[in-house]
Amino acid sequence: MRKLLSILLVLAMALAMMPAALADGDLEPIKLTVFRGDPGDQPYEDNKIYKKIEEEFGVTFEFEFLAGDLNETLGLKLSDLEDLPDLFDGGNSAEMLIDAGALINLLDYVNPEDTPNLWAHIEPQKNRIITKDEDTGEDVMYIIPNYGLPDGPQIALSVGGPAFFIQKQVLAWAGYPEIHTLDEYFDLIEKFLEANPTNADGTPYIGFDILCEDWRRFCLINPVQHLMGRPNDGEVLIDINSDDYPTETFINRAYAKPYYKKLNEEFQKGIISADTFVMSYDQYIAQLSSGIVLGMFDQAWDFGDANNALLSDQKYENTYVALGLVYDEDDVEGLLPEGWTIEEHYLNGSLPNLDRGFGISVSCECPERIVAMWERMLDEDWQLLFNWGVEGEDYSIVDGRLTMTAEQYANTQDVEWQRHNKARAFFESSPKRQGWILEGDLAGNCWEVGNQDEIVFGLMNDYDKEFLAAYGYSKFADFVNPPIELAPYGEAWQIDKAPIQKDYNDFLNIQDTELPAVIMADPAEFDAKWDKFVEDINPSCEVYSNFMHEEVLKLVAAYYGE
Amino acid sequence: MTDLASKSGRKTRPRKGGFFGTLCKQWQLAAMSVPMLLYVLLFNYAPMWGWINAFKDYGNRKLVAKGITPFIGLGNFKWLFSRPDFFITVRNTLAMSVINLVFGTVSAILLAILLNEVRNRGFKRTVQTVTYLPHFLSMVIVVAMSQNIFATNGPVNALLTSTGIIKSPVFWLGEGKYFWWLVGVINVWKEVGWGTIIYISAMTSIDPSLYEAAAIDGAGRFHRILHVTLPGIRSTFIILLIMNIGHLMEAGFEIQYLLGNGLVANYSRTIDIFVLEYGTQQMDIGVATAAGMFKSVVAIILLVSANFIAKRLGEDTLV
Repeated sequence: MRKLLSILLVLAMALAMMPAALADGDLEPIKLTVFRGDPGDQPYEDNKIYKKIEEEFGVTFEFEFLAGDLNETLGLKLSDLEDLPDLFDGGNSAEMLIDAGALINLLDYVNPEDTPNLWAHIEPQKNRIITKDEDTGEDVMYIIPNYGLPDGPQIALSVGGPAFFIQKQVLAWAGYPEIHTLDEYFDLIEKFLEANPTNADGTPYIGFDILCEDWRRFCLINPVQHLMGRPNDGEVLIDINSDDYPTETFINRAYAKPYYKKLNEEFQKGIISADTFVMSYDQYIAQLSSGIVLGMFDQAWDFGDANNALLSDQKYENTYVALGLVYDEDDVEGLLPEGWTIEEHYLNGSLPNLDRGFGISVSCECPERIVAMWERMLDEDWQLLFNWGVEGEDYSIVDGRLTMTAEQYANTQDVEWQRHNKARAFFESSPKRQGWILEGDLAGNCWEVGNQDEIVFGLMNDYDKEFLAAYGYSKFADFVNPPIELAPYGEAWQIDKAPIQKDYNDFLNIQDTELPAVIMADPAEFDAKWDKFVEDINPSCEVYSNFMHEEVLKLVAAYYGE
Repeated sequence: MTDLASKSGRKTRPRKGGFFGTLCKQWQLAAMSVPMLLYVLLFNYAPMWGWINAFKDYGNRKLVAKGITPFIGLGNFKWLFSRPDFFITVRNTLAMSVINLVFGTVSAILLAILLNEVRNRGFKRTVQTVTYLPHFLSMVIVVAMSQNIFATNGPVNALLTSTGIIKSPVFWLGEGKYFWWLVGVINVWKEVGWGTIIYISAMTSIDPSLYEAAAIDGAGRFHRILHVTLPGIRSTFIILLIMNIGHLMEAGFEIQYLLGNGLVANYSRTIDIFVLEYGTQQMDIGVATAAGMFKSVVAIILLVSANFIAKRLGEDTLV
């Protein structure tokens, strides 16, 4: 009896204290620990945006950035689910966090009533973002995509993803030709190299680089699907015109061979150097930054640092244009899947960056405060603060248009300045508005500085202006076809390969070891080495293709709400 | 140590109480060894409990998150031994270990003898310092340097082509057949000075009168090295050899991880890299533990046999 009484007493006390705790909760300053799954720079103490966050929300941050291998770091962090960072961005391996049960289901806090902003933000893509838990069947959303949920019509000013890149000076030297096929591309590079073996300093030019370090092997593997006319589906080719969405790995198919045959020829001609296959990412960026690499296949974001370095050195002629190369029908005659026609599509519809961005960890003590903060931050004033900065200081509004001076814009590109004046580490992984401002006095402006006409065209350097004028184009995206509609499954590279991890690992290892050797092979041995490669990789390709086909069909069904 | 203690115990107190009597008598000594004993138990024996993971299935991340890791007996081992690429990692590990051991020992002894013969103390000290400084460099830096030095347009190729030894540059970093030797050479450069320290100290403990006697008997410098210096460091050499053979399954991991690339993967992947890939990158702890266990078992066998052989040869042994 006495026991029961004391329990009741404790309960009563707890109940009495709860409202007080809740009421105080909103004001109480908290420090959130934050992990970012990519390298970055710590902001300075005096950072003005973080100061404003602290003033309005009472929230301060302690950032940790990735140093070293991502999966390894996540593996170690996940060993103790009691002590996780509050805001957890797993980078390209966020699936590990989800599978390990490290993240809370945000749908417990996000709904049309409590968080109208957030809900409206994800609503158009909710069939992709909200998934069903495999066991319980309940709706789950662990991460609100950090990018890819734009307001208004899609903006495509330049190619931000994969393409064959070529230095502007090469095109200018040749009199601004139109380049559409592999042969035209490599012919041009060869001719340029013949006429200009070295740059002004006497450093030899490198014709074509192939980066294949670790996960960046996509520079070696992915081109084939684009040459076949599809946007980026990772390592598989999908026929979107068929209701059954036939899915197959392309690296082991007959239609992949002409590309590697071409690389083999270029290697023999010395356009591609052997060192390219042993190059680290840092070495690659250093080469690109020095302006001696004439062309490469890559994704624009992957060499952003090199691009910035070239811009700050004012080596505009060494910066790159994205070209949408496709196979010439003659190259692949008789090799195409049945009914396949080749039409260039490098640009795809806006894709929500699924499972990328911050999740809230299970060890976080105040998830509702974080969600409420995100909700408030989707308002115009906060979005302008994150994207454009402080009005009058970092940008101005002239006749209802957002503008920056050249100096203000240059500041935004300066890493040191950013550490004082930008909240990159937090904002990049948080839900954010992109695309067009649709409402209010500023309607018709862009949320992001880099998309605003006044910045893109107003502040464009003269070299680029003349370059575009020579082609009669208004923007760099005009070098490729306009975006096609996003397929119902999204982009297949987003599919998590964990269930077939061992086969997938084989798939990657065989490519890493054998494909460079195929490209470097003596021309007489090329066919034999290619056949050996295909034979070795076929078993894992089979498993991978089947798995991806099933997953694609699941995504399609989910998209149509079945 | 315990062996020595019990032996001396028996001498002084031959009858009373046996082992426990001795223990009581020498409780201070025993107490002093307790911290070390705890250390070994906690950090060397307790983690062995983790070996149990080698017999569990960690293949499915989603099940693992729910705590479902069924026992699958020898499943992980069967899977390992069915894969040719696992044996490639074993081969690479052993090959690079042996190369490192031979190169490392020979170069260290050679340099130690040369230094031992140098009479100018200033010069000797300088060489010693210069050769052992690279030991303190991070492998990341050493590998980055090597990548530039051995690049097709790097200094090594430039030197070899300009002197006419080879006609066209060699693709050092991209051909598997060079990889093991490259690792050996880089390790020698990094560790040779460090390796000499122990041999030089062994040489200083050789009685100078031996050298004098040899000189009186007409032995030249070369003969003194052969018949005095080398036998003088023989026991040091044997002990180090036994210890190193115990470490044969550890060919290192940093250098192969950093210097390796797709082209040489079949020569650069070691067991440690295999364990890392499966254990922390793919989270398949079962397979990784099985591979690590296999490694430990082979290492124990190697160590015990080396010790046995040394004992047979009448040398000092470790155990």
